[in-house]
This record gives sequence, structure tokens and C-alpha cells, in this order.
Amino acid sequence: MSRHPTLSVSGLSVDYPLTSGGLFRPARTVNAVDGVTFDIAPGETLGLVGESGSGKTTVGRTILRRVPSSGGRIQFEGRDITDVDGAALRKLRARMQIVLQDPYTSLNPRMKIGDIVAEPLLVHGLAESSDAARHAVRQLLDRVGMPADAADRYPHSFSGGQRQRVGIARALALKPSLIVADEPVSALDVSVRAQVVNLMQDLQRELGISYLFIAHDLAIVRHISHRVAIMYAGRIVEIAPRNDLYDNPVHPYTEALLSAVPVANPKVQRARRRIVHTGDTVDIANPPSGCRFHPRCPLATDQCRQASPPLLVKAPGHLAACWNRGR
Amino acid sequence: MTETLLEIDDLHVAFDTRAGVVQAVRGVSLTVGRGETLGLVGESGSGKSVTAQAMMGLIDVPGRISGGTVRWCGTPLVGEGVRRAPRNIWGREITMIFQNPMTSLNPLMTIGAQLQEAVRLHLGLRGAAARTRAADLLNAVGISGAARRLDQYPHEFSGGMRQRVMIAMAIASEPRLLIADEPTTALDVTIQAQILELLAELQSQLGLSIILITHDLGIVAGLCHRVAVMYAGQIVETGAVDTMFEQPAHPYTQGLIRSTPLLDACDDRLVAIDGTPPGLLIPPAGCAFQPRCPVATAPCGVPQVLTPTGTGAVACCRAGIDAWKVGAA
Ligand SMILES: Nc1ncnc2c1ncn2[C@@H]1O[C@H](COP(=O)(O)OP(=O)(O)OP(=O)(O)O)[C@@H](O)[C@H]1O
Ligand SMILES: Nc1ncnc2c1ncn2[C@@H]1O[C@H](COP(=O)(O)OP(=O)(O)OP(=O)(O)O)[C@@H](O)[C@H]1O
Ligand code: SF4
Ligand SMILES: [Mg+2]
Ligand SMILES: [Mg+2]
Repeated sequence: MSRHPTLSVSGLSVDYPLTSGGLFRPARTVNAVDGVTFDIAPGETLGLVGESGSGKTTVGRTILRRVPSSGGRIQFEGRDITDVDGAALRKLRARMQIVLQDPYTSLNPRMKIGDIVAEPLLVHGLAESSDAARHAVRQLLDRVGMPADAADRYPHSFSGGQRQRVGIARALALKPSLIVADEPVSALDVSVRAQVVNLMQDLQRELGISYLFIAHDLAIVRHISHRVAIMYAGRIVEIAPRNDLYDNPVHPYTEALLSAVPVANPKVQRARRRIVHTGDTVDIANPPSGCRFHPRCPLATDQCRQASPPLLVKAPGHLAACWNRGR
Repeated sequence: MTETLLEIDDLHVAFDTRAGVVQAVRGVSLTVGRGETLGLVGESGSGKSVTAQAMMGLIDVPGRISGGTVRWCGTPLVGEGVRRAPRNIWGREITMIFQNPMTSLNPLMTIGAQLQEAVRLHLGLRGAAARTRAADLLNAVGISGAARRLDQYPHEFSGGMRQRVMIAMAIASEPRLLIADEPTTALDVTIQAQILELLAELQSQLGLSIILITHDLGIVAGLCHRVAVMYAGQIVETGAVDTMFEQPAHPYTQGLIRSTPLLDACDDRLVAIDGTPPGLLIPPAGCAFQPRCPVATAPCGVPQVLTPTGTGAVACCRAGIDAWKVGAA
């Protein structure tokens, strides 16, 4: 099995309906994800970064087959899952789990923690008895560092970091090989963020899980990821092993992003030359022609305005989509 | 130090709730000098926003100022014996920008109308003069095509542009102190960088003082001269920005800095501060950080007093010990 990547996505596109079309009017759509290609090896973390609205959540949800794709293929553990449905899809969902950003709303407030974690086990018929389920839940809660009496309490009596641990325990219940973590620590305090990041790293080392780790915080992404992909306006503009990406960014947008992140070191931060781009975020309903970054790009040429740059290898394992960089 | 503009002395703010009295701010003292940027950081719920609201006279039921004073250039604004704050300070000499620009702009009024209203109110300008001034303000915050932009509504602006408009409104009265409560939290980093650059420029051009409330230590590092760290309603440490990052004295400050991953290094395991902050219904008698502190000892159970350090002050009887190295051993 490990000869295959855990996940392999090629040419994935997603269109959302913008207006409901009339009888003779084709529905207008927004192309939220455009030709996205990447894979994730067993036990690997791929970080996914990009502006708000660039399509990160959409990619994650499409992989989990919660949003229909309009083009491209998704392979999971060597099997094409783009079109599976029914019972096969249900079984598949046990192997791919999601952890969401908001620990305050992603847990049902009326369910006890124990029942929340047990639910997937029971739904998928993976616990022979309620005793077995209770035992499994105890182990899972213990594994994520929750107190022993947590199972009988309700979400409101726990802090954000603890609720996020419960979300992770729940995701782990079915022994998934892939977890899509959509901003799992964004809502947490800085000091608590580190707890959850450390926990996710420990679990990965122990269980060999793959993560698609979606986040805004570039420092956290560098810390937890093996490779990192940068999205801009629905496309991956750069993807590389983490140190290559952070130390030798190729794409002008990656460069702008990295130079804009404030560094928690006063001397370094005051001395940094910022690449402060004018221009605003993209309206994905009216994407720019050619390279979608061209209106904000200091290197843009006519070619950039006319044709979309392909994602090409610029160094070993380092791909970027830019006409003027890394040729 | 330069001339002190704002002075907060032993401020207490309480909220009367059904569950009891929440003691959100418990004896905060701070000063802000002319042209200075003070960073206010700390755990969520530690009382940063409530402190800022108190400075602006915005504490309303169920909240109340339960002790202490806020003075502006020596004149008391808030606190015992202050019936009514002098006019023309809040909203004029001291202004504030809030986290969510969409809720602070009126969606039914054009941007121009809102800016002109502010200019009329504070500078007494009307008609064409007000409109010109409004356009100047939009230019000052880096919005091009100001003349056309004035006639647009908030929804026609992006998040980053709305935040610029909020800054334009906040500097319309030519204030001397700007309080910015998480001014860029809702924005993308590239847009955030533009806004921060703008604040730094306005500061050097107008000699503005800024109180910057944020979770992001990187923002503090780049923009602030001094930092105050809050924990559970109290200031646990203050100091010059370089000192605070190089030699944080309080175990909480140390933990905060060590748990923040750096962009240029990634191999160490992050320091995680286990546990969560205490509830403020019955605040702990001693150091509020004690249950989470790796170097706590018996004396930590009594109230900690802010004691001067080289560039500020710290409230911890174990100050200066490398708490996380000791704790990890
Ligand atoms: N259900 C939907 N229907 C229509 N458009 C949608 C839907 N969900 C997302 N979109 C649009 O698709 C684009 C991508 O959204 P997505 O949520 O994937 O972005 P994101 O990168 O996750 O952003 P963020 O960082 O803000 O979470 C956005 O322009 C968004 O407005
Ligand atoms: N209207 C209110 N009623 C009751 N309690 C309140 C009210 N407003 C604030 N509090 C309490 O006061 C404390 C301090 O809140 P504050 O908003 O100042 O925190 P903060 O440091 O700004 O946090 P954050 O970083 O999350 O913005 C919290 O415990 C909060 O629950
Ligand atoms: S393709 Fe052109 S516009 Fe796009 S990033 Fe490269 S140089 Fe800039
Ligand atoms: Mg998202
Ligand atoms: Mg706040």
C-alpha cells in the first residue's frame, strides 16, 4: 500500500454556482479551484496556504467528496475515488477525516464528549458493543490528553484547546490514513496552539497519518509541514519541500507573502525590507486573465496578462507557476 | 521619557453577571508617552479590550469601573470623583479602531458621507471643504481614486480597504492617541502588512501615539516601542520591546515567546503552556499563572507586586529564571 501516495490529486477543478440559471440561460459559475495537482505520501504533512478565498477549504472538502468536482481526478491509497458513491463512499469516509477550525461550533453542545467521540465508531459499526465503544473512547481521550472524566461532560465545560483535542480524538476514532485539518489552530490562543500542534505531530509519528494542513499562519505551517503548497485565486502557484519554499521562494506571490509575515524578533522585523504590494485581493468571480497574480505582480509582462503560466519544475521537487521566475 | 499623555492608575473593571462578578481588569497601571507605540498582548480574555474600552469611557452595564483612574494630560477622564469627562477628548484627541470594520461602518451611508460627518464634527468643516478633507484622508490611507471612492458604499470596498477607511475615520480629528484593537486580525497578511506600514507612516508624520492590541508577537516586534503583557486581568510584565523579546522575565511572557514558531527555523518542538487561564469570577489570590507555571513555588501563592526591571517591571517572585528550560528538564 505504501507504494502509493495516500492521496493524489490531479487537475482538480471546482465550480460553484453563482446564479441559478433560467430555462434558456446557462447558470453562471465561480471557478473556485482551477487545475490543482499534488500528492501526499503516507505519514507526510502537506501545508496548504493562501489568501482568504483562494480555495483551500474547497480543495479540502472536495477531496473528502463533500463538494462535487467539475474536473480532474482524486486517488486515495492508489484507488480512483472521484466517482465512488453509496456504500463505497461511506466506507471511504471512515479513512479520511476532517478537523475544523472552530472548536466552539464543531462539537454538538447537547452531546456528552464520550458520545461525540463514540459516534463515528457506532455509525460505521466498528464497535461490537457499547462497552467496547466506551473502552475505545477512553483510550482516544487519553491519547489526546483529555482528563479521565471528560467523557461524561459536555463541550461547554472545556476550553478551546481541549475542544480541539476532542475534535482530533473524534477524527482518530476510525483510524484514518488522512486527516484534512482546516485551520485547526487558528481560533486558539498562541500558548494553546503549541499544545495542539505538538499533539498532531506526536500522533503522526505514532500512527503514520497523513495531514493536509490548511492554515494562514506561515510559521506554524513551516513548523508542522514536510512540504508546502501556496494557493492564489484557485490555483497552486508554488509547491516545494518546506525549507526550499521558505528559504528560496520562486513565485512572486510566495515572496510577497513571506515578506509580509511579521517576524517575532524586533531587530529582524524592523530591518526587513518589505515587499508591500499595492493592489487588493482577487475577486474570484472575475478572475484576471493569464496569470491570476498579474495585477499585483511587479514582474508582470504581456505574456503574464495573456497566458496562464504552467506549474513547472524549477528545482528538484520544487514547482512553481510563473513566466518570469526560475527559468 | 517623553511627555506622558495617558496615565492609567490601578484600574479595576468588573462585570455583574448572573453567575457573579467577573473581575475582568484587576489593578492595571500603564502610561503612554507622546509619539510612543505601546503593544498590549496577552491570552484571550485577559482584559485587553476591556482596558481599552475603559480608556475610551465605553464601559457600560453590566460593566463598571470598580476602582482606579484614567488621566489624559493630567485631567481625570474615568474613575472616582469623575462625574463627566471633559468634552473633546474621546473621539477627538483619543480615537479607536475596532477589529471588525464592517460592523463599525454604516452600511447605508456612502464612505464620503461618513468621513465628511466625522470631519464636520471634529474640525467644523462643511460642504466642499469637508469633501476635500475627506478625499485627503482617503489618500492618506492609500486609497486611490478618492473622488470616485467617496460616493461608494462600504460593501463596495474590500476588507482591507474598509479597514483603511476606519483608520481614515480615526485620524479625521487629528488625534494624539490612537487605540487600535486587533486592527488587522481579519485581514490577509499581505494586506495586513500594508495597514501596519500605514500606521507606522502616520505615526512618524503626525507624531501620533498608538496603543496596539494584538495576539501577534510579530506585529508587536515590528511596530511597538514598549510592550505590556496581560494575564487574567493584570499586567504581569512591561518593558522595552527588544528587552521583552531577548530577556523576557515573567514565565508567562517567556512561554508566549517560546511557543511562537519562527519563520526561519522549524526543528525544535514548540514550548506548550499546558492548562488554561483561571476563571475571573473568583480570581486566584496569588499569581494567576501559578497553576500553569513550571517554576512555581510557595511564595507564588501570595499576590505578586510589579517590581522594576531594567526597562519596565515584572510581577513574579521567580522572575528571570528560564522557566521553560527548567520545566522541560
Ligand atoms: N458553497 C459555496 N458556494 C459558492 N461559492 C463558494 C462556496 N464556498 C466557497 N465559495 C467561494 O469559493 C472561493 C474559495 O472559497 P474557500 O472557502 O475554499 O476559500 P479558502 O481559501 O478556504 O478561504 P479562507 O482562508 O477564508 O477560509 C471563495 O471565493 C468563496 O467565496
Ligand atoms: N459584557 C461583558 N459581560 C461579562 N463579561 C465580560 C463582558 N465583556 C468582557 N467580559 C469579560 O472580561 C474579560 C476580559 O475580556 P476582554 O474582551 O477584555 O479580553 P481580551 O483580552 O480583549 O481577549 P481577546 O484577545 O479574546 O480579545 C473576559 O473574561 C470576558 O469574559
Ligand atoms: S507569471 Fe508573470 S504575473 Fe504571474 S507571477 Fe510570474 S511574473 Fe508575475
Ligand atoms: Mg477556508
Ligand atoms: Mg479583545
